[in-house]
Amino acid sequence: MIIKSNIKEAFRSLYSSKQRTILALIGIIIGIGAVISMVSIGKIVQNESLKGFKALGTDILTIQNNYSPQKNPSSNKSDIRLKDILYIPSQCDAIEKVSPFIVSGDSVSFKGKKIESGSIIGVTESYFEISKVKISKGRAISDLDKYYNFCVLGNNIYEKVSKIQIDNIIGEKIKIGRNIFIIIGFAEKKPLGVFSFFDINESVFIEINRFMRMGNKGEISNITAKIKPGVDQITAKSQIIDYFKKLTKANNSVNILNPEEIIAQMEKQMQLYTLFLGAIGSISLLVGGVGVMNVMLVSVTERSKEIGLRRALGARRKDIRGQFLVEAITLSIIGGIFGIILGVGISFIIAYFVKWDFLISYNAIALGVIVSSAVGIFFGLYPAHQASKLDPIVTLRTG
Amino acid sequence: MLELKDIKKSYKIGPIELEVLKGISLFIDKGELLSIMGPSGCGKSTLMNIIGLLDKPTSGSYLISNNQISYTDDDKLSNIRNRKIGFVFQNYHLLPKLNALDNVSIPLIYRGDKKQERRRKSLDFLKKVDMHTRAYHRPSELSGGQQQRVAIARALVGNPSIILADEPTGALDTKIGDEIMNLFKKLNKDESITIIIITHDPNIAKECSRVVYMKDGLIHDHKI
Repeated sequence: MIIKSNIKEAFRSLYSSKQRTILALIGIIIGIGAVISMVSIGKIVQNESLKGFKALGTDILTIQNNYSPQKNPSSNKSDIRLKDILYIPSQCDAIEKVSPFIVSGDSVSFKGKKIESGSIIGVTESYFEISKVKISKGRAISDLDKYYNFCVLGNNIYEKVSKIQIDNIIGEKIKIGRNIFIIIGFAEKKPLGVFSFFDINESVFIEINRFMRMGNKGEISNITAKIKPGVDQITAKSQIIDYFKKLTKANNSVNILNPEEIIAQMEKQMQLYTLFLGAIGSISLLVGGVGVMNVMLVSVTERSKEIGLRRALGARRKDIRGQFLVEAITLSIIGGIFGIILGVGISFIIAYFVKWDFLISYNAIALGVIVSSAVGIFFGLYPAHQASKLDPIVTLRTG
Repeated sequence: MLELKDIKKSYKIGPIELEVLKGISLFIDKGELLSIMGPSGCGKSTLMNIIGLLDKPTSGSYLISNNQISYTDDDKLSNIRNRKIGFVFQNYHLLPKLNALDNVSIPLIYRGDKKQERRRKSLDFLKKVDMHTRAYHRPSELSGGQQQRVAIARALVGNPSIILADEPTGALDTKIGDEIMNLFKKLNKDESITIIIITHDPNIAKECSRVVYMKDGLIHDHKI
């Protein structure tokens, strides 16, 4: 009952000193808003970056080549060769397809005009299927194009080229480095995976054997493999490891990441990242909390007469403490509610403009409510304690 | 009912110790209408604060209904103030943001009465002081006499056995002051509530069954 009338009293008191209440509220709103927006943006980014990996599918393994004869002088075996990689599906029955690819940069020009490009990528036919790159016109690189000067353009490159010549780009010649290539197709636009180290849209794809002839020694460092349907990732992974072990006679010659593992790893990292963002937001929350404390201290001083009177009428110290504590908590929670709205709003706006998928983090909302009440308790405790210590006769006399 | 034995009270103001009460012994029986008179600075307000458990004496003992007051338990003192003592102040001390009804029900909040109960009792006592028609008015919308009536209702609402009134008519004109005084007399007679009035108005003192005169921290004279 006391709690109920305290809450009513808190609203009345906060309402009667509107200006001060609003100022304190602004502090809390900004503080909670900062925490909530930081945490929800963290969550949105997490979702966004994992989306790329999830889109890859859980049947894809990423093989990283650690093996290099230079790093292992004791081994007289040479580098992992392309044919060894292409041999994987026939040796490991869990693997359906492999896609080795090499990434490098080179100058690209079309009709004598230089074109800004990101990467030149040497691929096999399977690359387009495994990496889910769709061809919008023309055709993809085929394994039958071995050593041919054919290339497929990424969507941005295609757009740049089509500014120079609008029609009939397919069949035209394009200069890559010192070689002339024929454009055989171009790819659809593909959203940039947050953690992929090159942009497919800014790339030019050529056949991998042709690529290796362009003066590039061609250490194949990137391999993706597709697992046969119904086979689990662990089996596939161990088969590949065994295959490379036999091949190179070295233990950790390859490092295999399966998407599930990557996703789990990233989630862990992202959580840390979100926590960090939340911690930054908490600084402004701290400032907001000090604002609440300030308002409550002023309120205690201003209402000392009321406190004295209530004490005379039978309020115990803890009743007074409770009254002011409830007031501080009420203030903080009201601020917290608006702060949650603000924070969710900010993250919505950011997600909207950066074109990320917006999602409401219910954890963040729960966090907002809990943190704002905790702020109320923490920063309300001292003023409430001060109030409860006031001497009724002193305060009544000054009235 | 109330028994004060050799109550002394001194305040330390810097290095000087100022003795305000120099040994007051006083017995107040149930149902008395008593006034305490004396010039300003004689210690009558300090005495009232001690009787009302708002202040603790430096030495001496104080009994209410034969129970020795212990000053170590603050919650217990609050509880006695809440249940046994009703205060009426010179400047009413009503909370400006609350209406008359809510002002009257404050003491009931602290004894944990439910809202309906508080409302019912408060309205009853507002009726008793003839203020029920103004139950939803705020103090600023009431005259001084009306505010004091509301304050008296607040003092009565917890059914106290003692009412302590500090200059209750001091801020009112004579006619309204008389009305308030008549209300006290009626309450004293009808409900046999012990009423202690601090005043320096001899006309008020005249109406009381006993007058205690104070001077320089001591009881100077008794008049029945």
